[in-house]
Amino acid sequence: MFVLPPPPRYPSQQGYNGMPAGQPVPMIETNNVLTNPAGPEYQFLVGEGLYVLKEDLHLATPPPHPSEAPVVNPNPLATAPQPATTGTRLSLINLDVSPLSPAFYRTTSRSDGAQASIQEHVEEGQSSSDVRESSSDAGRLNSSEAQLVTSNAPAFGEGNSLLAPTSQKDAHKRRKPKNNMAKSSSSFVSRVINHEALSKRLQERPRDGLFAFANVNRAFQWLDLSSQMKAEYLTKILFTKAHCLCHDVNKVTKSSTHIDVIMGFSTGEIIWWEPITQRYTRLNKNGIVNGTPVSEIRWIPGSENLFLAAHMDGTLVVYDKEKEDAIFTPEDEGTFRTNGETGGTSSVNYSSQIHVHKSVHSKNQKTNPVAVWKLCNHRINAFAFSPDNRHLAVVSEDGTLRIIDYLKEELLDLFYAYYGGLTCVCWSPDGKYVVTGGQDDLISIWCPSEQPPNTALIARGQGHHSWVTSVAFDPWRCDDRNYRFGSVGEDRRICLWDFSVGMLHRPRAASVRQRGSISSRPGFVPLQRADTSATAGTSGSGRLRSDSSLSAAGAVDGEKEKVLPHPVEPRATTATLPPVLSKIVDDDPLCWLGFTSDAMLTSCKTGHIRTWNRPTELTPQLEEKIDS
Amino acid sequence: MAGFFQKFKGAGSGTSKSDNTFAKNKKDEPQQDLTPVEKLLHNAGPIREDGSDKFFGLENFGNTCYCNSIVQALYHSEHFRTNVVNYPPPSPWDDPNSVKRKVNVTIRPPPQANGNAAGSGKPGQPPKPRQSFSGGQLAPSVGPTRPEDKPDSPEYKKKQAMIRGPVLELAQESTDPYGMEECTFTGLKDIFTALIDSQSRTGVLSPQRFLDIFKRNNEMFRNSMHQDAHEFYGIVLNDVIANVEANGKRMQELAESRRKDDPSQPAETLSKSDSTAATRAPGTGWVHDIFEGVLTSETRCLTCETASQRDETFLDLSIDLEEHSSVTSCLQQFSAEEMLCERNKFHCDHCGGLQEAEKRMKVKKLPKVLALHLKRFKYTEDYSRLQKLFHRVVYPYHLRLFNTTDDAEDPDRMYELYAVVVHIGGNAYHGHYVAVIKTKDRGWLLFDDEMVEPVDKSFVQNFFGDKPGMACAYVLFYQETTFEKVREELDAEGVDQMKMANPFPADLATSAELVNGTSPAPLSKLNTQPLPPVDENETLVGLEHVKSAPTELDVTSPIDALPPPLSSYEAHPLVAAPPPPSAVMTKADEAATVPPKSKEEIAREKKEQKAREKAEEKARKAAEKEQARVAAKKLQEAAQKIRETARLEREQLQKAIQESKQMAADEEKRNKKEATSGERPASSEGSGANGFLNRAGRTSKSMTRKSFAFLHIGQHNNSTSKEEDQGDSKADKTDRSEASDNRSDRGESSATEGNPSRDNDQPPPRQNGISSAKRNPSFTLPVRPPPRSDTAPGSVEQLRQDKQHKEKEKEKPPLKERFSFALGRKKSSRFLSPLS
Repeated sequence: MFVLPPPPRYPSQQGYNGMPAGQPVPMIETNNVLTNPAGPEYQFLVGEGLYVLKEDLHLATPPPHPSEAPVVNPNPLATAPQPATTGTRLSLINLDVSPLSPAFYRTTSRSDGAQASIQEHVEEGQSSSDVRESSSDAGRLNSSEAQLVTSNAPAFGEGNSLLAPTSQKDAHKRRKPKNNMAKSSSSFVSRVINHEALSKRLQERPRDGLFAFANVNRAFQWLDLSSQMKAEYLTKILFTKAHCLCHDVNKVTKSSTHIDVIMGFSTGEIIWWEPITQRYTRLNKNGIVNGTPVSEIRWIPGSENLFLAAHMDGTLVVYDKEKEDAIFTPEDEGTFRTNGETGGTSSVNYSSQIHVHKSVHSKNQKTNPVAVWKLCNHRINAFAFSPDNRHLAVVSEDGTLRIIDYLKEELLDLFYAYYGGLTCVCWSPDGKYVVTGGQDDLISIWCPSEQPPNTALIARGQGHHSWVTSVAFDPWRCDDRNYRFGSVGEDRRICLWDFSVGMLHRPRAASVRQRGSISSRPGFVPLQRADTSATAGTSGSGRLRSDSSLSAAGAVDGEKEKVLPHPVEPRATTATLPPVLSKIVDDDPLCWLGFTSDAMLTSCKTGHIRTWNRPTELTPQLEEKIDS
Repeated sequence: MAGFFQKFKGAGSGTSKSDNTFAKNKKDEPQQDLTPVEKLLHNAGPIREDGSDKFFGLENFGNTCYCNSIVQALYHSEHFRTNVVNYPPPSPWDDPNSVKRKVNVTIRPPPQANGNAAGSGKPGQPPKPRQSFSGGQLAPSVGPTRPEDKPDSPEYKKKQAMIRGPVLELAQESTDPYGMEECTFTGLKDIFTALIDSQSRTGVLSPQRFLDIFKRNNEMFRNSMHQDAHEFYGIVLNDVIANVEANGKRMQELAESRRKDDPSQPAETLSKSDSTAATRAPGTGWVHDIFEGVLTSETRCLTCETASQRDETFLDLSIDLEEHSSVTSCLQQFSAEEMLCERNKFHCDHCGGLQEAEKRMKVKKLPKVLALHLKRFKYTEDYSRLQKLFHRVVYPYHLRLFNTTDDAEDPDRMYELYAVVVHIGGNAYHGHYVAVIKTKDRGWLLFDDEMVEPVDKSFVQNFFGDKPGMACAYVLFYQETTFEKVREELDAEGVDQMKMANPFPADLATSAELVNGTSPAPLSKLNTQPLPPVDENETLVGLEHVKSAPTELDVTSPIDALPPPLSSYEAHPLVAAPPPPSAVMTKADEAATVPPKSKEEIAREKKEQKAREKAEEKARKAAEKEQARVAAKKLQEAAQKIRETARLEREQLQKAIQESKQMAADEEKRNKKEATSGERPASSEGSGANGFLNRAGRTSKSMTRKSFAFLHIGQHNNSTSKEEDQGDSKADKTDRSEASDNRSDRGESSATEGNPSRDNDQPPPRQNGISSAKRNPSFTLPVRPPPRSDTAPGSVEQLRQDKQHKEKEKEKPPLKERFSFALGRKKSSRFLSPLS
């Protein structure tokens, strides 16, 4: 039988990790490009006015490392898993005292905000401005004190004396990472390029200017968004092979002479980098603690040293930036090991608790990890700390949203996506609501404090045409009743959403209750505790209280009621929220969204950072709203 | 981590070379000889009766991958498989001794292939060597010049699969074991039964007989060209429906005739005829039950504001794609409101005449298996051919439908993705199809013709369309499930991972070199996590410690931290051994930081390390054993359960049969009254083909529906459809409106909406004509444009091109039609199947 000759089965269409197909693989190092596209397609109208694209900063995708040329497998069916990568995401920081987000919400519903912390510091003999402004003095603050800076929620790990002393060795200077980046012989870091006038630029820049840290492919860039020459990075680091997937800047330790940046990599490794002195330390080297990629990383609010990393095997790990790594064996042999042996016949129940493989209260705190919590066996896609610094919202690939009291290392609540994985999460500025986005193309608004019979799911937002990749509240457009948040997705769209308690079709009683002060609300115990301890005022009592609550929690641990997962709400009974805006704002899937006082920023898979200026003139009502 | 998987992979490529010319390169453990699939199954317990543990490749006879991928997807739909195998139920006058199972054995393994899967692997000559298969020649002896000689290439793996066998081949002359004439259904049933009856879990099956039968009935597939998998799917399903119905019909007639023959035993005949009818009543609807859903299209006339509704059945949904969208969104678009205007005006009964109208389609009845056809092939004028769209369209592992009607039953039904048919290639005329399928309890497998390979769960989402290699998901199969099942499964995935993860660190430790290896991990098998690339030159990194770290070494050095956990391993041999620090790294660290390190120390360390490795090796083995035991036990339990449920099902079926017998008896009586005069001419002939003629009066019309579509292609509106295309780039919408368009062309107004009886009245004559035409090739040929039918296998590419050129005008529109086939079918079904 004659058979037509088969066509070339696997046409070699090269693909470079992180680059969409069809785009040429860059062969040489190129520069960032700043453009100012204008025209009707680069602006969009919302109720408050016209958002206009200010600029598009395209971060150059670096060429593959010469020794690590990407293995191009022409066979699209190759079964070897691809290394993890991600699109460009940003960490923003300004060195100014004034916080990045507006303060109005802090005095309204979030009572444990900046004011409280300032009070504390007065009492402890250190003003918070000291901490932030004078770099030379900053070092005097030891870590346990620093943990109290932004919140009077008990500091994470408080009560474990083993955690405090480790960093007290040099009280005179803020400690820098060990290794010099530029002179490093590490094979992990391929190249470090500083701007030629780096120090000059640092000196001349406005003090309240915005720094941005951004990853693109195997590169990591430090940018000065307030500079005229913002396209020229301050520093660019090229890693040999690993891709930086996530990063965060420590808001507690920032100063003009010190910035703590933490990066999580596709190899599972973590780098603590201090850009001004160009020093770094590598943590979880070779994945000694956990070998799976880090999908999200954040400094624990208020902590100088501790940060939380989400590994892709469903583990949350707390690291101390200054501790050495050690091999990790789960300490809770009871639950973990028996499961391993019996091959799963005994229940590994991830829906009613988190498995604390190592507690922050463990007596063994000489080395990293500080704490290890196993949440599930699926990839954790994102997490967010609540504004009151007590809770953690974690979303993962298996479509779960977990609300965790991370101070007590307890699972408080578990919610499910409509279907598919959840990809991103954020808290409303007042800590009442959690917003998630997922692979069901939906935005879900949750109110974890809702008690049955009310459902925690407030509404679902339908407006994206593909998976949602990032959600963020716009604190400048939120007050205690009305909320504005934005979302971006793989559909290249940005959606803006407004909701207020009254707008959503909730039972009247419920919404009235929500409007009132949370502290009068009997429902959600942990949140309530946060409020009362906040109003208590002095740090002494706050600490005492938290200590007692911690020990109390320990005592009742055995009898604490089981967390019941909430059933999925059917579509028919759930309020649907339409977006106030849905617009395609890029040519590639978007990955990240952020708000600053004067702009909205989006970034995409291929490294475009777009800055959208807020409407210049405020309508009278809006001014009024913000003033009140 | 790396190591384990590497071995795994190595095993995959090194498969079956029991003559060991090749195995040298691989790590030398006996189990290396297993293919990944076999390894996956090596402690699978007893063979199951439901066939859910059979993972066979299907032989490719040159561009028959469209068939292979679809057949695999169908086989691994549990509903469908069970029903195919159980239909037709044994009839009462069959020899009670001939067990059904026995009758079905029509397979013969090729002489060379031995039935032992784990087998001695004497390279067997594939019975039907493809071009690329150089008989039983051993690959390694030849230099790696051809693609199939490279151990990692799919060609090599396929060849190995053939060599390894067993190669099941179905008998050329299928007798009449099911009481049915040989047809697409029996072909499929033969394949399924053969797989289920096979004593091996792996191997290759040759679907040649099935294809022959299929091609006999569908002449446009009668060539060796690349075909459209979705089209194939639609036709197979329709064929199966038709065959089953024809058989049901025949059985009924047979029963009648028997009763007539046997007037002496009225009581007995009655019971017999009962059961025959029973074979139809519960039997013939099952394909519909599985795949059929109902769409409601609501049309609102903009002139008189009258809204009219019409229900249509569908076997799959063909959805238009948008760039950077999701399947969810495309489905929403499918149901988005649509204006019927200009050429597509709507014929309103209320105000009379063609009016502008708004129309939207929503799902009223959700099918058990939801097949989504992503319309990746688009007919574009400027290229005058079908272009492939490489839009990135993401699809989640689970799905619910947003576009349901308000009165739909279970509108929040959860679906899980269970099969993805992937098209690889740059256009509609070339390429390759593979299927990625979620098996019942063995995770995801890649079925690429002869080759079957387990894949990571994340592999499934490699075919969004934007990745290099031009591999795109083309048909997605979602099957109904429940939230609870999904949660259970997701949790179980985790447990499996834990089990796999446990021995794993030890593995890593024992093979230090693997740290630097390519590193895919078994851990990630069921996981979605991509693999962490591991730093290659770790050893150098230690140097960095020299400058700043020495003083701290004694406090926090990882080496000091070692002993305690180590002892704990020994105490718990079954416990997962966490990875000890990579020896290379720590040594280097020390060497760098504490240069004057004594030799004894190093030696001691080495010793320690060895001891450690030993202990870990031990622990790992013990753990593995334990797991194997547990797994086997679990499997046994599962098998038990399955048997139990199967038994229950059988009982239920019996009950159903009883009930339906009763019903059928009544019907029979009625029929008898009417039919005594031999009202249906075909009744005496009793063959499938002739029985067909009667279909117009029967309830399910899918086959005629299809034939109608064919007519549509062949003779009707070649030009019209083209025009429509120009007018409306959205092919789907065009299709949809076509239905109404055609209707108005023929003066069939939408008055028929909601009036099935009238629907029935109009088309039958036409249907009958087509039906018989379709069944009778000689009749059909003049109807259909010739090029497809007579592209003989022997014709050369050039010839084909010539022909294509010549036939351009005729060829193109049908092609276009072909790809929007499902909808056309779906649309036209309206005439034919009044809803049950």
